[in-house]
Amino acid sequence: MVSRIAPPWVFEIDDLRKSYDGEKWANDGITLRIEPGEVFGLLGPNGAGKTTLVKQVVGLLAPTSGTIELGGYDLVADPDHARQLCSYLPQAPVPIESFKVHEAIELAGRIRGGEKSTVRARTEELIDDLELEEWRDTLGAKLSGGVRRLVGFAMTIVHPAPLVILDEPTNDVDPRRRRLLWERIRRLGDEEVAVILVTHNVLEAEKSVDRLAIIDDGRTVAEGTPSSLKAADRDLLRLQVMLTPGVDDPALPAWLRAEARVGNTLVTTVSEPDVPAGLDWAQGLMTEGVAEEYALGATSLEDVYVRLTTVEAVAS
Amino acid sequence: MTAATIPARRSGVDHWLDAFGNLTRWQVTRLRRLLPITMVVQVLSTTGIVIGMGLLYGDLPPERVLYLTTGAVTISLITVGIVMGPQILSQERISGSAEYMAALPVPRSAATMGWMVLNLVTVLPGIVSALLAATLRYDVELAVSWPIVPAVVLVVFGATMVGVAYAYAIPNPRTVNAVAQLLIFVVFGFSPIAYPAEQLPDWLASAHRWLPFESMAVVIRDGLTDGLATEVGRAYAVLAIWTAAAVALASWSLGRRP
Repeated sequence: MVSRIAPPWVFEIDDLRKSYDGEKWANDGITLRIEPGEVFGLLGPNGAGKTTLVKQVVGLLAPTSGTIELGGYDLVADPDHARQLCSYLPQAPVPIESFKVHEAIELAGRIRGGEKSTVRARTEELIDDLELEEWRDTLGAKLSGGVRRLVGFAMTIVHPAPLVILDEPTNDVDPRRRRLLWERIRRLGDEEVAVILVTHNVLEAEKSVDRLAIIDDGRTVAEGTPSSLKAADRDLLRLQVMLTPGVDDPALPAWLRAEARVGNTLVTTVSEPDVPAGLDWAQGLMTEGVAEEYALGATSLEDVYVRLTTVEAVAS
Repeated sequence: MTAATIPARRSGVDHWLDAFGNLTRWQVTRLRRLLPITMVVQVLSTTGIVIGMGLLYGDLPPERVLYLTTGAVTISLITVGIVMGPQILSQERISGSAEYMAALPVPRSAATMGWMVLNLVTVLPGIVSALLAATLRYDVELAVSWPIVPAVVLVVFGATMVGVAYAYAIPNPRTVNAVAQLLIFVVFGFSPIAYPAEQLPDWLASAHRWLPFESMAVVIRDGLTDGLATEVGRAYAVLAIWTAAAVALASWSLGRRP
């Protein structure tokens, strides 16, 4: 029997509820547990309650009920301590218009309690890792949105707290540097930092997170590893049909499962044996002028995400 | 670097001083493009009031010149904390950078004191230039004494705290801007700062007995002139009450978690 080594600490949210107006729940009974070294994805559509959740963790909002603890410390009761135990990159741009890139990262590290020499060395390491050398002495006001986002990321992790919370860190970042950023996030896990990653980018998150929760309408609608969440779709393929605008929805064969309707795109899944019939059906829709295009592909975490969070889900 | 163990909670005087130093550096760096411009505006406005009033009224008696000069200094000290500061803070709230600052692992009091130091640095050149202008232009004798130091610190601190208090207590940051605009008129036109309270209608003069602006002018006048300021002790008491109330409101609004 293999015994599991107990983690040195855990971060736990238990039955967290938050209402701004006493009527509607922005968070409605969320429970999570994250261990050091884990990169945990928090996925969900706009307004799902993700940012509300992380703002309660860092002490910017007070929960209506429920607990938030890190290593046994009560973060709700002691928001000053919460800010020391969490490094937070908010969605809004970091206010560094008058800072040179290396100044902003270094000073952020010092403010977070890092030693001067350690912070300086780590700043250079991050500038190198994120390929920010050419902007090292550039003022924040002259940076593009993506580079500024990367600098904000570096400012957050230059002296990381036990829990790092990144709210949409890849916004505006170009694909090449986005890859560098994901690599750096993975390395945080190696440093035994727990990472909460709030993102819309399901495909990228799928490759980088250890576990994730999908939040919708304030509730956790799914939680697990990317593989476990996709398990139900293992033998399925995705058949996506772009319907002609203005036409009525086509009738669906019984063996085709409608997952979601996003704009004019009808997302369905089909089991492997039914694929030829599915392709014939889609081709028929094109012939009749009901559809303009169709595509067959492997199911991904995005399909799970869309199915769980799309309001206009089509009843099969 | 590893975060497998949880670092001890940082607190105490060393942590506070460390945070204060870093945040003052942050504020100075953050406003370094705006700071020189603000200082020049302060110099021009305070000196402009002193010299401009002479142009407007011709020969002014020495007592009137001292009133105007000390009033110009006081207006400069007040506006930076009560008007300009909240305007910047409201912009920060709108842009989201106030939230970034609020999430930093530092005592809020250290951040506010850093803000006050910045206000103090901003107004000092304007004060010196106004006093020089008065001496050179009108040949009046100022009597600068040690109480000017606590007076300037108290006025800037009080004005900063009142500014911070309402900048964060008012729910809509755009309303903060409107209040700041309104206060410019109150401070410049309808406060007995650069002129005696007797020139105001009785009801307004009575109100100013309990508002902070007249008291701010009195303590500054006490540190710069000889015998021109009256009821100095009362003025310090009124200011102390206002400052304490503003500190309490600022602490509440900064620590508030919706």
